[in-house]
Amino acid sequence: MSRYRHLMLNVVSLLPHCKKDNKVESTSSKGATLNELVELRNCSYCMFFECRKQKDLYLWMAKCPNGPSVKFLVNAVHTMEELKLTGNHLKGSRPILTFTTNFNKDPHWMLLKEMITQIFETPKDHRKSKPFHDHVFAFAIVDDHIWFHVMVLVLFPAFDSVLDIKWSKFQIVNQGGIEETTLVEVGPRFCLNPIKIFGGSFGGPTLYENPFYISPNQIRALEKKKKAGKYATKVKAKTRRKMHELENPLEPDEFADLWRE
Amino acid sequence: MGGIRREDLFLGKEDFMGRNDDESESELGSGSDSESEEVPSSEPSKRAIYNREGILEKLEDISWPENVDWIHKLAVDLEEDKDLDVNDDIVRELAFYTQALEGTRQAYAKLHSQGVAFFRPPDYYAEMVKTDSHMLKVKGRLLEQKKKIEEAEERKKARESKKMAKEVQAVKLKERAKQKKEDIESVKKWRKQRQRSGFGADKGEDLGFNFDGGGGGGGFERSKKKRPGVAPGDRSGGSAKRNVGGKEKANRKRERRDSKFGYGGRKGLKKQNNAATTDDLRGFNKGDFSSKKRKKNL
Repeated sequence: MSRYRHLMLNVVSLLPHCKKDNKVESTSSKGATLNELVELRNCSYCMFFECRKQKDLYLWMAKCPNGPSVKFLVNAVHTMEELKLTGNHLKGSRPILTFTTNFNKDPHWMLLKEMITQIFETPKDHRKSKPFHDHVFAFAIVDDHIWFHVMVLVLFPAFDSVLDIKWSKFQIVNQGGIEETTLVEVGPRFCLNPIKIFGGSFGGPTLYENPFYISPNQIRALEKKKKAGKYATKVKAKTRRKMHELENPLEPDEFADLWRE
Repeated sequence: MGGIRREDLFLGKEDFMGRNDDESESELGSGSDSESEEVPSSEPSKRAIYNREGILEKLEDISWPENVDWIHKLAVDLEEDKDLDVNDDIVRELAFYTQALEGTRQAYAKLHSQGVAFFRPPDYYAEMVKTDSHMLKVKGRLLEQKKKIEEAEERKKARESKKMAKEVQAVKLKERAKQKKEDIESVKKWRKQRQRSGFGADKGEDLGFNFDGGGGGGGFERSKKKRPGVAPGDRSGGSAKRNVGGKEKANRKRERRDSKFGYGGRKGLKKQNNAATTDDLRGFNKGDFSSKKRKKNL
């Protein structure tokens, strides 16, 4: 649960052009509330992190006031605080966005790509943006999920072991040309599973529904059901065995009396 | 195949829209879900809405105009790996890495041609996305890992060298034993020779057998080496580590002080019983046989 809050804070630090707001109660009219808030803060997009049952994180990306909105289920969350993600980039520098070409294959992916570009790319000459380009966002569609990673550009000389490489990458800032540049992951990283695309902001007509999406509640319920059947299957197996034995009686054993007193 | 489904109304004859169709057919055919979990759900794609025109409309609504410079978008498209197995972590991560790297190369090419500063100079110090304290932790962890690996290597090397050393030692011992044997043999030979060639010029001498002195009396006396004995006051029974050499001074100092300030002897010995003290009943009460006190002791 708390890692989702950290994830949100990480995203806030990644986007210098964003404005962080307080918690919103998840009432049925959250759409209206959120739209109002966005108006108030004079923004055009909204990213809403919704955590349900302290387990599942849903992310809404919506263009306010009347643009389309998407609801995602977020998996595989790794925040920037994880010590395995060793990179560090300049706060506020404009990122380079990379997409895989399968974003252009279907309309709904194209729409998502457009929304992502508009949300994640810091506007040029924004007052909080810094010069230089030292990190990359990677968006990839794998298995109908959008995977998101952040990498920083680093220069390192040739080393023998992976650990040495990591260590030197940790210390050295980019000092050379593009050919020697490599990347170190900064984080955060997550995986988005699109659930629905709506025509309006936080509501409206459903434009797209993911046919492969199963809600986490359903998954948990089905797992429980599977486990619940254990006893029944055992009993069934027993009776089946009995029937089988009755139907196929064994031949009398020649050695049965061998050891009888 | 079922009756008319909602998607059919929107599906044209175009081939690239066959995706949804294929899914739904496979759904019906196998009756099982396409997800990796074995979930026998009831053909979810039947309900799946796919309003292509609506989506494309919205896309046009929100898109930035065509003549927007690339520098505002900074988005790069890259070919993806078709056969990426989601569950294979390493391959997947590698794919993302290559994607990002390729993307930066292309972006660099474009920006460089426009003359935009790309790399952050090494002396540009500004606020970073992770705090310095956090980076210290990361550094600590990396160092630890490095140390662990190095230690493991060293231990391995030590083990190996120990093995080698053992072998070398064994060889050396053998050599020494051989040498000793040879020495003795040579002396015996020499004696024999002298015997054979007669004693010639050295009649007055003894036969050369040296029984006194020299290595413990020529082997007939026991070695006079001191064997460690246990001092009577030593309560550890001789198993305590004895001070070797360098600490004699401190011991002597201690003993001097003990004898000067203490009432003599080791502390613990004061309370030990001996012949004199067992019969000594001075400390016991002399016969307060009043009833109160006796009842208390019951």
